[in-house]
Amino acid sequence: MRFEAKKLCKAYGVQRVLQNLDISLQSGELVCLLGPNGAGKSTLIRLLSGLLKPTAGEITIDGTLADFSEAEIRRRIGLILHQTFLYEQLTGLENLQLYARLYGTRLTESDLKQLMVRVGLGKVRPVPVRSYSRGMKQRLTIARALLNEPQILLLDEPYTGLDQQGSTMLNQLLIEEKEQQRIILITTHELSFIRQVASRFDILHRGKIAESIPNADMSLDELQERYNTVVNNRVKVQTEAAP
Amino acid sequence: MRAWLSTAWVLVWKDLVQEWRSRDVLTSMFAFAVLSLFIFNYALELSPINRAEIAPGLIWVVMVFAGTLGLNRSFAAEQDQGSFEGLMMAVPELSVIYLAKMITNLLMMFGLAILVIPIYSLLYNQSLFDLRFFGILMLGAWGYSAAGTLISSMTVQTRMRDLLLPVLLFPLLLPVNMAVVKSGSAIIAASSVPEFQSWINLLLVYDVIMTVVSILVFEYVIRE
Repeated sequence: MRFEAKKLCKAYGVQRVLQNLDISLQSGELVCLLGPNGAGKSTLIRLLSGLLKPTAGEITIDGTLADFSEAEIRRRIGLILHQTFLYEQLTGLENLQLYARLYGTRLTESDLKQLMVRVGLGKVRPVPVRSYSRGMKQRLTIARALLNEPQILLLDEPYTGLDQQGSTMLNQLLIEEKEQQRIILITTHELSFIRQVASRFDILHRGKIAESIPNADMSLDELQERYNTVVNNRVKVQTEAAP
Repeated sequence: MRAWLSTAWVLVWKDLVQEWRSRDVLTSMFAFAVLSLFIFNYALELSPINRAEIAPGLIWVVMVFAGTLGLNRSFAAEQDQGSFEGLMMAVPELSVIYLAKMITNLLMMFGLAILVIPIYSLLYNQSLFDLRFFGILMLGAWGYSAAGTLISSMTVQTRMRDLLLPVLLFPLLLPVNMAVVKSGSAIIAASSVPEFQSWINLLLVYDVIMTVVSILVFEYVIRE
């Protein structure tokens, strides 16, 4: 499967966030989107999930224009954003049951409990999510995003709130999802963790993918240096442009 | 259609469980309604004849104002944790979110009517235990929930949602308010049905049109 965005533009009023951005994602590929705060990473994730409409450009799946008004298209995407999408008064299992029913899956209670075990919540008492820690909520959010086995995973800062063990668990899940030929796009600043699983790094710069770096090519230090060079260039250009 | 309805039921169940466990909305709605009835009772000093005349209007005003507290919070759970976007990704059709919220709001108004009628009867010494009167209140509540849920879905995304909701909603409710008060008064005055049939027809037409139009435009409203 191929998931692509061509000449994607997004503007909020006069502020142009993305300009003629092209990105292509293949099955079994885990692409890490890098960029400083405000670069437009979250906007791109929202556009690719259909939650935002682009100002211009198109998003295609296997060459066909993605029509996000179709439930079938929306349900092919597993999404993690900054907010958890969880209901605070429901328990972890009830939240998963709710989403499983909404997605129309045939998952049983034991399937969902198994999913909770996968994200390290197997031994949690059935208490409302409001009493969960941030890390526990994030683990449940990961389970929620995976429960309908989506073909495309769009993950915005999924390591947020996770401890060392949680980040390792997430990496393990990402490896398994990759092996199942899912398309994964992830934004994070946790380079040391994502470097273990990413196929390539795309650096978002001035509304476009400025550099695309295959993971095998360089060490963590080299990657950090390349990233800093792109970001500093951006700062330099902005400073020079200022009156 | 079956998937649409079963999804709506799942969402209504979720809203009711959430509300039952937090009791945020019901408590404030009920407290507001009871306090309003107390205040009107002491402020108006009504004679028995006047009571009969103003009962439908008074009860409906209390229900509308108390219900607005609920409408303001009806998308709050979705707003707090961004769950609205989660629902948008999962449901078969976006209009089902509207239908579920509308049913939940209608159930809240049903609970409110069940509370308000006995308290009014007790405080004002005038029995309003009449199924026809209750039916009129429910027809009004249907129209109120249909319009209120749509407006609430618009205002929830704005900074001034608490102020905007009543400002946009109340003018839209004018036909419902008139029909509920006129037909309610006719029932209390023991008039025959043909005398106020036109008001019931108005209510029914308003309810059906508002529900259908809201279902049709909901996706556009939340996406834009």
